[in-house]
Amino acid sequence: MAITRRELFTKVAKAGVPAAVAITVGGEALHAESIPVPNAAVGLLYDASICIGCKACVGACAEANDTAPDTRRDELHQAPSDLNDLTRNIIKLYKPEDGSAFSYVKRQCMHCLDPACAAGCPFQALHKDAESGIVTWTADKCIGCRYCTITCPYHVPRFQWQGYNPRVTKCELCHHRLEKGQKPGCTSVCPTGAVIFGPRTVLLSEAKKRIKNNPGRYYQSRVYGETDNGGTQCLYLSRVPFEKLGLPELGPESVPARTLRWQRRLYQYFVLPAVLYVSLVQVIRKSLKGHEQEAHEREKETGLRAQL
Amino acid sequence: MSTATINNAPFNKTRWERAVPVYGFPVVNRFFLVLCGMTLLAFVLTAYRELAGLGPVSGMNDAYGWGIWKTFNVMVLTALGSGAFAVGIAAWVFRRKKLHALMRMALLTSFLAYACGLLLLGIDAGRPWNFYWIVFPWKWNMHSPLAEVAICMSIYAMIPLAVENIPPVLERLWYFDSRLRPGVERFERRLHSFFPWIIAAAYLLPGMHQSSLGALMLLAGERVHPLWQTPWLPLLYLGAATFMSFGCVAGTTMLCCLVWKRAMDMDVLDEAARITAWLIFGWLALRLLDILFRGVLGTAFHFDRFAGVFWLEIFLTAFGGWLLRRSVQTHETRSMFLGYILSSVGGMIYRFSPTTLAFRPNPESLYFPSMIEVLVALGFVCMGIAGFLLIVKRFGILPAPLQDWHDMASYFRFRRPYIRWTGYFKYGFFGENEPTDSD
Repeated sequence: MAITRRELFTKVAKAGVPAAVAITVGGEALHAESIPVPNAAVGLLYDASICIGCKACVGACAEANDTAPDTRRDELHQAPSDLNDLTRNIIKLYKPEDGSAFSYVKRQCMHCLDPACAAGCPFQALHKDAESGIVTWTADKCIGCRYCTITCPYHVPRFQWQGYNPRVTKCELCHHRLEKGQKPGCTSVCPTGAVIFGPRTVLLSEAKKRIKNNPGRYYQSRVYGETDNGGTQCLYLSRVPFEKLGLPELGPESVPARTLRWQRRLYQYFVLPAVLYVSLVQVIRKSLKGHEQEAHEREKETGLRAQL
Repeated sequence: MSTATINNAPFNKTRWERAVPVYGFPVVNRFFLVLCGMTLLAFVLTAYRELAGLGPVSGMNDAYGWGIWKTFNVMVLTALGSGAFAVGIAAWVFRRKKLHALMRMALLTSFLAYACGLLLLGIDAGRPWNFYWIVFPWKWNMHSPLAEVAICMSIYAMIPLAVENIPPVLERLWYFDSRLRPGVERFERRLHSFFPWIIAAAYLLPGMHQSSLGALMLLAGERVHPLWQTPWLPLLYLGAATFMSFGCVAGTTMLCCLVWKRAMDMDVLDEAARITAWLIFGWLALRLLDILFRGVLGTAFHFDRFAGVFWLEIFLTAFGGWLLRRSVQTHETRSMFLGYILSSVGGMIYRFSPTTLAFRPNPESLYFPSMIEVLVALGFVCMGIAGFLLIVKRFGILPAPLQDWHDMASYFRFRRPYIRWTGYFKYGFFGENEPTDSD
C-alpha cells in the first residue's frame, strides 16, 4: 500500500505522542536527577563550638584570593558585615537576646553536591568540577544575570554592583592553591582547628567521631551537610540550631532535584516539545488552507486584495 | 471574467474584515514627542548604567538581585505581549475564526513587548558581552530555566514572531509601487509555503518560555511565600499570560477604536471576552485549588503584606472576569474594557509577586527601584508605545469594516493627493485592480 510522504509524517507523529509521554513520565532514574558524589570530593569541616571568632580566616581568605581587604565600613579595618563582592569568607556571631548559648559561624560556599547555582546558571559559568566537586565561577561565561544570587539557598554568591565589568564572588575552595599542593587560605591559619580541609569522606568520619566522643555537645548530634540539600562538601557542627547560623533546614533532597523535577522531565531529550511541534504543524497547515481559501473567496467578492 | 465590486459583495457596516491603517492623523504629535523624549532619556541613562554598573543606577542589592527591569519589563510585560501566542492558538489551532481579525494587533503588540523586554534584559545583564555563548548550543545549560528563557525568548522574537509580522510590510510594499508587485507576490508565495512551520514554532516557543519564567522562581524555594511557591508555578504563569494577553490585545484594540473613532465589531469582541472569561475562571480555579491542596490557605488570612497582595490579585482577576462575562451578555463595551483592564492588572500583580512582592530574602531586606531604574523601565515601555503608534498609522494593523478601506482610499485620492507615497489610493476604489500605464 502506497502512502504519501505526508501520511507517513502524520503516522510517525501520532506514534510519537505516546512514546514521548512514556519517556517523559516513565523514566525513573533520569540522568539529571541522580546526584553523584565526585570521586575526589574535597571540602571543609567547620566546628562552630571550637571557633573563637578571631577572624584570621577572613584576612587569610582575602590574601589567598588576592582581593583587596574590604575596609568600606570605617575606611580602616577589614570588617565587612556580610559576604560581598570582596568577601568570600566571613565570621559572624549569633548571640540571642535572652543570654543563652552564643556561637560564631563561618560562612562560605557550601559546595553542594547538587548546586542550585550551577543548575540555574544559563551558560555554565558556575560549574561543579567532576573530580574535586569544587563549584567555580568562570568570568568568560557569566552574563551577569544574578540568577545564582536568587537560587542559592545559602545566599552565597554575591554580585559586584559597581563598575562596568562586574564579577560574581564566591568561595572556590582556593582551587588555585590546591593545585600547588597548599591548603585553602582559611584552614591554613585557623589557630584552633575549627575549620579543617580534607576529602569529604574523611571529614565526615571525623565529624561523626567528634559527635560520638562528645555526646550531647552538638545540635541534634548530626552533621549539617551530610544529607542536607542533597549533601554538601562543606560540613558543619554546631551547639546551636543550624537555622540560627543561616543554614536552613532544606531536607535530604537537593533544591534543584526537588523543584525542577517536572521541568527536567518535560524537556528530557527534547522529545515532548518536538512531538508537540510536529502535531501543531499538522493542525495549522489545515487551518491555514481553510483560511486562505476563505480569504481568496472574499477577495473575489470585494475586489480587494486578501489580507492574511 | 467579471469584475466584482463592492456593490454586490455582502456588506456589513461593523464587521471587522480588513486591517486598515489609521489615516488622517499625523504621526508626530505632542504625545509622540513626549514618548520619544522618554525613550531618548532612557538611552542616555542606559549609557550611564553601562559605565557605572548596576549599583549606582538601581535599587538592587545582594538580597534582591533582580529589579524591575527583569521582574516588570520582562516577566510582566512579555506576559501582556503573549497575544501572538494566546490569540494565535485560539485562532489557528482551535479555529476560532473570528479572532483572525485581531491577529495583526496581537502580532504587533507581541513583537514590540518582546523586543523592548529583550533589549532591557541585555541592559540588565551585568556582563552582556558574554551573550555570544547563545550561538554554541553545547555550552547551554539545558536544565536551567533561565537558559531556556533567554535562548527561547530571543529565538522566538527574532525568527517566528518577526516572520509572522512580515505580511503587513509586504502589503505596504505591494501598494507602494506597482513595479514591486511581482517580487512581493513571489516572496509571499515562498513565505506561505513554510508558514505552518513558523506559526507552530510561534506557539511552541512562548509556551515553553512563558512557563519557564514561572519555573525560574521554583529554585528560590522557601524564599517565595507559600501562597505563590508551588510546583504548578510554570503552568500558572502560562495561564496568567494567556488571559493577560487577550486583555492586552482586545483592550488595546478597543482603545484604538475609541481614540480613532472606528466601529467595534461586537461579534469578535464578544468571542474574545468569552474566551478570556473562561481562561480567567480556569486559572483562578487552578490557583485556588492548588493553594487549598497544599494546605496553605491559612496564610492568606494573616494580616501581612502577602495576604494583601494575594487578595488584591484574586479580587482584580475575579472581578475582571465577572465583568467580562457580564459584558458578553449585555454587549456593554464599557464593562468589557474595564474587565480587560482589571483582569490584566490582577495578572500583572500575580506575575510580579514571586520575584518581588512575595519574595522574602534571608536576612530580611528591602528593595525599591531607584529613579533612574524607573525612568529606564518607563522609557523602554514608551519606546514600544511610540513604535506602536508609528506602525498602526503606516501599516494595516487595526481591524476595521470594509467601508473604512474605501474611505481611506478616497481620502488619499481626493483630500491628500500630494501624498504620493501611501499608494493606497491606487487600488481598491471602485475595484481598480490593475496598475495602469500612468502609474
